[in-house]
Amino acid sequence: MNLEDDLRRALRPEAAPAGFAGRVVAKTRVIPIWRRPVVWSIAAGLAVAAVVPGVYEYRRHERGIEARDQLLLALSITRVRLEQTKEKIEQDTRHKL
Amino acid sequence: MKIALVFFAVMIPAFAQQKFDFKSLDRLGANAKESSNITLEGDTLKLATSFLGDDKSPFKSLTGVYVRAYEFAKPGQYKESDLDPVRAYIKSLQWSKIVDVKESGETSEIYLQALPNNRLGGLAIVAAEAKEVTVVFISGNIAISDIGKLSGNLGIPDMTVLHGSSKADAQKKD
Repeated sequence: MNLEDDLRRALRPEAAPAGFAGRVVAKTRVIPIWRRPVVWSIAAGLAVAAVVPGVYEYRRHERGIEARDQLLLALSITRVRLEQTKEKIEQDTRHKL
Repeated sequence: MKIALVFFAVMIPAFAQQKFDFKSLDRLGANAKESSNITLEGDTLKLATSFLGDDKSPFKSLTGVYVRAYEFAKPGQYKESDLDPVRAYIKSLQWSKIVDVKESGETSEIYLQALPNNRLGGLAIVAAEAKEVTVVFISGNIAISDIGKLSGNLGIPDMTVLHGSSKADAQKKD
Protein backbone atom coordinates (compact mmCIF):
# COMPACT_ATOMS: atom_id res chain seq x y z
CA MET A 1 0.00 0.00 0.00
CA ASN A 2 1.29 3.36 -0.84
CA LEU A 3 -0.10 6.79 -1.08
CA GLU A 4 -0.51 6.56 -4.81
CA ASP A 5 -2.84 3.52 -4.53
CA ASP A 6 -4.88 5.18 -1.79
CA LEU A 7 -5.39 8.27 -3.89
CA ARG A 8 -6.32 6.28 -6.96
CA ARG A 9 -8.90 4.34 -4.98
CA ALA A 10 -10.37 7.44 -3.37
CA LEU A 11 -10.59 9.35 -6.61
CA ARG A 12 -11.91 6.62 -8.86
CA PRO A 13 -15.08 7.54 -10.69
CA GLU A 14 -18.30 6.26 -9.17
CA ALA A 15 -21.74 6.03 -10.74
CA ALA A 16 -24.21 8.66 -9.44
CA PRO A 17 -27.20 7.35 -7.45
CA ALA A 18 -30.36 6.78 -9.42
CA GLY A 19 -32.31 9.98 -10.11
CA PHE A 20 -29.43 12.23 -9.09
CA ALA A 21 -29.30 14.03 -12.41
CA GLY A 22 -33.04 14.62 -12.40
CA ARG A 23 -32.93 16.09 -8.91
CA VAL A 24 -30.08 18.42 -9.82
CA VAL A 25 -31.95 19.65 -12.90
CA ALA A 26 -35.16 20.15 -10.90
CA LYS A 27 -33.36 22.24 -8.31
CA THR A 28 -31.65 24.44 -10.82
CA ARG A 29 -34.72 25.00 -13.05
CA VAL A 30 -36.05 28.60 -12.96
CA ILE A 31 -39.82 28.65 -12.13
CA PRO A 32 -41.68 31.29 -14.19
CA ILE A 33 -42.90 34.17 -12.02
CA TRP A 34 -46.56 33.48 -12.76
CA ARG A 35 -46.24 29.96 -11.38
CA ARG A 36 -44.82 30.98 -8.01
CA PRO A 37 -47.27 30.48 -5.11
CA VAL A 38 -46.24 33.73 -3.48
CA VAL A 39 -47.21 35.63 -6.64
CA TRP A 40 -50.61 33.95 -6.67
CA SER A 41 -51.10 34.81 -2.99
CA ILE A 42 -50.28 38.49 -3.61
CA ALA A 43 -52.60 38.60 -6.66
CA ALA A 44 -55.44 37.01 -4.69
CA GLY A 45 -54.90 39.46 -1.84
CA LEU A 46 -54.97 42.44 -4.20
CA ALA A 47 -58.10 41.15 -5.92
CA VAL A 48 -59.89 40.74 -2.58
CA ALA A 49 -58.71 44.18 -1.44
CA ALA A 50 -60.08 45.69 -4.65
CA VAL A 51 -63.44 43.89 -4.59
CA VAL A 52 -64.38 44.01 -0.88
CA PRO A 53 -64.86 47.81 -0.61
CA GLY A 54 -66.96 47.76 -3.77
CA VAL A 55 -69.19 44.97 -2.45
CA TYR A 56 -69.46 46.70 0.93
CA GLU A 57 -70.43 50.00 -0.68
CA TYR A 58 -72.99 48.26 -2.91
CA ARG A 59 -74.54 46.47 0.07
CA ARG A 60 -74.59 49.73 2.07
CA HIS A 61 -76.33 51.49 -0.80
CA GLU A 62 -78.91 48.69 -1.08
CA ARG A 63 -79.58 48.81 2.66
CA GLY A 64 -79.83 52.61 2.53
CA ILE A 65 -82.42 52.55 -0.25
CA GLU A 66 -84.40 49.87 1.61
CA ALA A 67 -84.28 51.84 4.88
CA ARG A 68 -85.21 55.11 3.11
CA ASP A 69 -88.25 53.43 1.52
CA GLN A 70 -89.31 52.16 4.93
CA LEU A 71 -88.90 55.62 6.45
CA LEU A 72 -90.97 57.18 3.66
CA LEU A 73 -93.67 54.57 4.16
CA ALA A 74 -93.67 55.19 7.92
CA LEU A 75 -93.95 58.96 7.42
CA SER A 76 -96.66 58.42 4.84
CA ILE A 77 -98.72 56.26 7.22
CA THR A 78 -98.23 58.90 9.92
CA ARG A 79 -99.40 61.64 7.56
CA VAL A 80 -102.51 59.70 6.53
CA ARG A 81 -103.37 58.92 10.15
CA LEU A 82 -102.97 62.56 11.18
CA GLU A 83 -105.18 63.67 8.29
CA GLN A 84 -107.84 61.04 9.10
CA THR A 85 -107.90 62.13 12.74
CA LYS A 86 -108.12 65.78 11.70
CA GLU A 87 -111.09 64.93 9.46
CA LYS A 88 -112.82 63.08 12.30
CA ILE A 89 -112.41 66.05 14.61
CA GLU A 90 -113.74 68.42 11.93
CA GLN A 91 -116.75 66.15 11.31
CA ASP A 92 -117.46 65.98 15.06
CA THR A 93 -117.20 69.73 15.34
CA ARG A 94 -119.58 70.27 12.40
CA HIS A 95 -122.01 67.77 13.96
CA LYS A 96 -122.02 69.55 17.28
CA LEU A 97 -122.57 72.93 15.63
CA MET B 1 -85.04 53.52 55.11
CA LYS B 2 -85.00 57.03 53.64
CA ILE B 3 -82.26 56.01 51.22
CA ALA B 4 -84.37 53.06 50.06
CA LEU B 5 -87.38 55.34 49.49
CA VAL B 6 -85.29 57.81 47.52
CA PHE B 7 -83.85 54.94 45.49
CA PHE B 8 -87.33 53.64 44.62
CA ALA B 9 -88.58 57.16 43.87
CA VAL B 10 -85.77 57.56 41.37
CA MET B 11 -85.81 54.07 39.92
CA ILE B 12 -89.55 53.56 39.39
CA PRO B 13 -89.85 56.29 36.71
CA ALA B 14 -86.57 55.10 35.22
CA PHE B 15 -87.93 51.57 34.85
CA ALA B 16 -91.23 52.90 33.58
CA GLN B 17 -89.40 54.71 30.77
CA GLN B 18 -87.43 51.71 29.68
CA LYS B 19 -87.53 51.06 26.00
CA PHE B 20 -90.71 49.47 24.72
CA ASP B 21 -90.42 46.38 22.60
CA PHE B 22 -92.51 47.28 19.57
CA LYS B 23 -92.15 43.76 18.26
CA SER B 24 -94.58 42.75 21.02
CA LEU B 25 -97.26 44.52 18.93
CA ASP B 26 -96.70 42.17 16.02
CA ARG B 27 -99.25 39.73 17.46
CA LEU B 28 -101.90 42.37 16.72
CA GLY B 29 -101.44 41.57 13.07
CA ALA B 30 -101.63 37.79 13.37
CA ASN B 31 -104.92 37.75 11.41
CA ALA B 32 -104.28 40.80 9.26
CA LYS B 33 -104.82 40.66 5.53
CA GLU B 34 -102.39 43.53 5.03
CA SER B 35 -99.69 44.75 7.35
CA SER B 36 -96.81 47.18 7.64
CA ASN B 37 -94.22 46.53 10.31
CA ILE B 38 -91.55 49.18 10.34
CA THR B 39 -88.79 49.49 12.89
CA LEU B 40 -86.08 52.06 12.20
CA GLU B 41 -83.57 53.04 14.85
CA GLY B 42 -79.86 53.61 15.36
CA ASP B 43 -77.59 53.25 12.35
CA THR B 44 -80.39 52.02 10.07
CA LEU B 45 -82.40 55.19 10.72
CA LYS B 46 -79.31 57.36 10.18
CA LEU B 47 -78.68 55.53 6.93
CA ALA B 48 -82.32 56.02 5.89
CA THR B 49 -82.27 59.77 6.57
CA SER B 50 -78.94 60.13 4.79
CA PHE B 51 -80.60 58.65 1.70
CA LEU B 52 -83.38 61.25 1.76
CA GLY B 53 -80.98 63.36 -0.26
CA ASP B 54 -81.50 66.54 1.72
CA ASP B 55 -78.76 67.57 4.14
CA LYS B 56 -81.16 69.87 5.94
CA SER B 57 -83.88 67.27 6.26
CA PRO B 58 -86.01 67.89 9.36
CA PHE B 59 -85.94 64.16 9.98
CA LYS B 60 -82.18 63.97 10.56
CA SER B 61 -82.66 64.22 14.33
CA LEU B 62 -85.11 61.33 14.63
CA THR B 63 -83.96 58.58 16.97
CA GLY B 64 -86.64 55.98 16.40
CA VAL B 65 -89.49 55.31 13.99
CA TYR B 66 -91.85 52.45 14.75
CA VAL B 67 -95.01 51.74 12.79
CA ARG B 68 -97.42 48.87 13.03
CA ALA B 69 -100.38 49.17 10.67
CA TYR B 70 -102.78 46.29 10.13
CA GLU B 71 -105.89 45.90 8.03
CA PHE B 72 -108.30 43.03 8.64
CA ALA B 73 -110.84 41.33 6.41
CA LYS B 74 -113.58 41.50 9.02
CA PRO B 75 -114.16 43.07 12.43
CA GLY B 76 -113.06 41.39 15.67
CA GLN B 77 -109.79 39.98 14.38
CA TYR B 78 -107.58 41.69 16.93
CA LYS B 79 -107.82 42.21 20.65
CA GLU B 80 -108.17 45.82 21.78
CA SER B 81 -106.34 44.77 24.95
CA ASP B 82 -103.20 44.11 22.88
CA LEU B 83 -102.89 47.89 22.62
CA ASP B 84 -102.81 48.33 26.41
CA PRO B 85 -99.03 47.86 26.81
CA VAL B 86 -98.18 50.54 24.24
CA ARG B 87 -100.75 52.90 25.76
CA ALA B 88 -99.24 52.26 29.20
CA TYR B 89 -95.76 52.89 27.82
CA ILE B 90 -96.76 56.21 26.24
CA LYS B 91 -98.50 57.15 29.47
CA SER B 92 -95.30 56.41 31.40
CA LEU B 93 -93.46 58.86 29.15
CA GLN B 94 -95.87 61.57 30.32
CA TRP B 95 -96.37 62.94 26.82
CA SER B 96 -99.33 65.24 26.24
CA LYS B 97 -102.42 63.61 24.81
CA ILE B 98 -103.56 66.23 22.33
CA VAL B 99 -106.28 64.19 20.61
CA ASP B 100 -108.59 61.56 22.05
CA VAL B 101 -111.47 60.76 19.74
CA LYS B 102 -113.83 57.93 20.58
CA GLU B 103 -116.87 57.17 18.45
CA SER B 104 -118.79 54.01 17.56
CA GLY B 105 -116.03 51.58 18.45
CA GLU B 106 -113.28 53.66 16.92
CA THR B 107 -110.56 55.41 18.85
CA SER B 108 -107.87 57.84 17.77
CA GLU B 109 -105.27 59.09 20.16
CA ILE B 110 -102.38 61.43 19.42
CA TYR B 111 -99.64 62.13 21.91
CA LEU B 112 -96.82 64.66 21.71
CA GLN B 113 -93.77 65.39 23.76
CA ALA B 114 -93.55 69.16 23.72
CA LEU B 115 -90.12 70.75 23.98
CA PRO B 116 -89.15 74.42 24.27
CA ASN B 117 -88.83 76.58 21.13
CA ASN B 118 -91.78 75.00 19.31
CA ARG B 119 -90.08 71.65 19.01
CA LEU B 120 -91.25 68.13 19.68
CA GLY B 121 -89.41 65.24 21.29
CA GLY B 122 -91.78 62.71 19.88
CA LEU B 123 -95.13 61.89 18.34
CA ALA B 124 -97.31 58.85 18.92
CA ILE B 125 -100.56 57.77 17.29
CA VAL B 126 -102.76 54.92 18.44
CA ALA B 127 -105.74 54.43 16.15
CA ALA B 128 -108.08 51.48 16.40
CA GLU B 129 -111.02 50.81 14.12
CA ALA B 130 -113.11 47.70 13.58
CA LYS B 131 -111.00 46.51 10.65
CA GLU B 132 -107.87 48.59 11.04
CA VAL B 133 -105.35 49.30 13.73
CA THR B 134 -102.35 51.61 13.55
CA VAL B 135 -99.64 52.40 16.04
CA VAL B 136 -97.06 55.06 15.17
CA PHE B 137 -94.26 56.02 17.52
CA ILE B 138 -91.68 58.56 16.39
CA SER B 139 -89.02 59.81 18.76
CA GLY B 140 -86.45 62.51 18.19
CA ASN B 141 -86.19 66.23 17.99
CA ILE B 142 -88.39 67.77 15.30
CA ALA B 143 -89.86 71.23 14.79
CA ILE B 144 -93.64 71.48 15.11
CA SER B 145 -93.67 73.29 11.76
CA ASP B 146 -92.00 70.25 10.17
CA ILE B 147 -94.96 68.07 11.08
CA GLY B 148 -96.74 69.86 8.25
CA LYS B 149 -94.01 68.66 5.92
CA LEU B 150 -95.29 65.13 6.40
CA SER B 151 -97.89 66.03 3.83
CA GLY B 152 -96.66 66.37 0.34
CA ASN B 153 -93.16 67.75 0.75
CA LEU B 154 -89.85 65.91 0.85
CA GLY B 155 -91.01 63.48 -1.76
CA ILE B 156 -93.08 61.54 0.75
CA PRO B 157 -95.44 59.65 -1.49
CA ASP B 158 -99.06 59.02 -0.85
CA MET B 159 -99.62 55.82 1.11
CA THR B 160 -102.09 54.53 -1.46
CA VAL B 161 -99.31 54.58 -4.05
CA LEU B 162 -96.84 52.88 -1.74
CA HIS B 163 -99.31 50.43 -0.31
CA GLY B 164 -99.02 47.82 -3.01
CA SER B 165 -95.27 47.77 -3.62
CA SER B 166 -93.63 48.59 -0.33
CA LYS B 167 -95.98 46.87 2.04
CA ALA B 168 -94.72 43.43 1.28
CA ASP B 169 -91.12 44.66 1.45
CA ALA B 170 -91.69 46.34 4.76
CA GLN B 171 -93.19 43.19 6.22
CA LYS B 172 -90.45 41.01 4.82
CA LYS B 173 -87.72 43.12 6.40
CA ASP B 174 -89.14 43.14 9.85
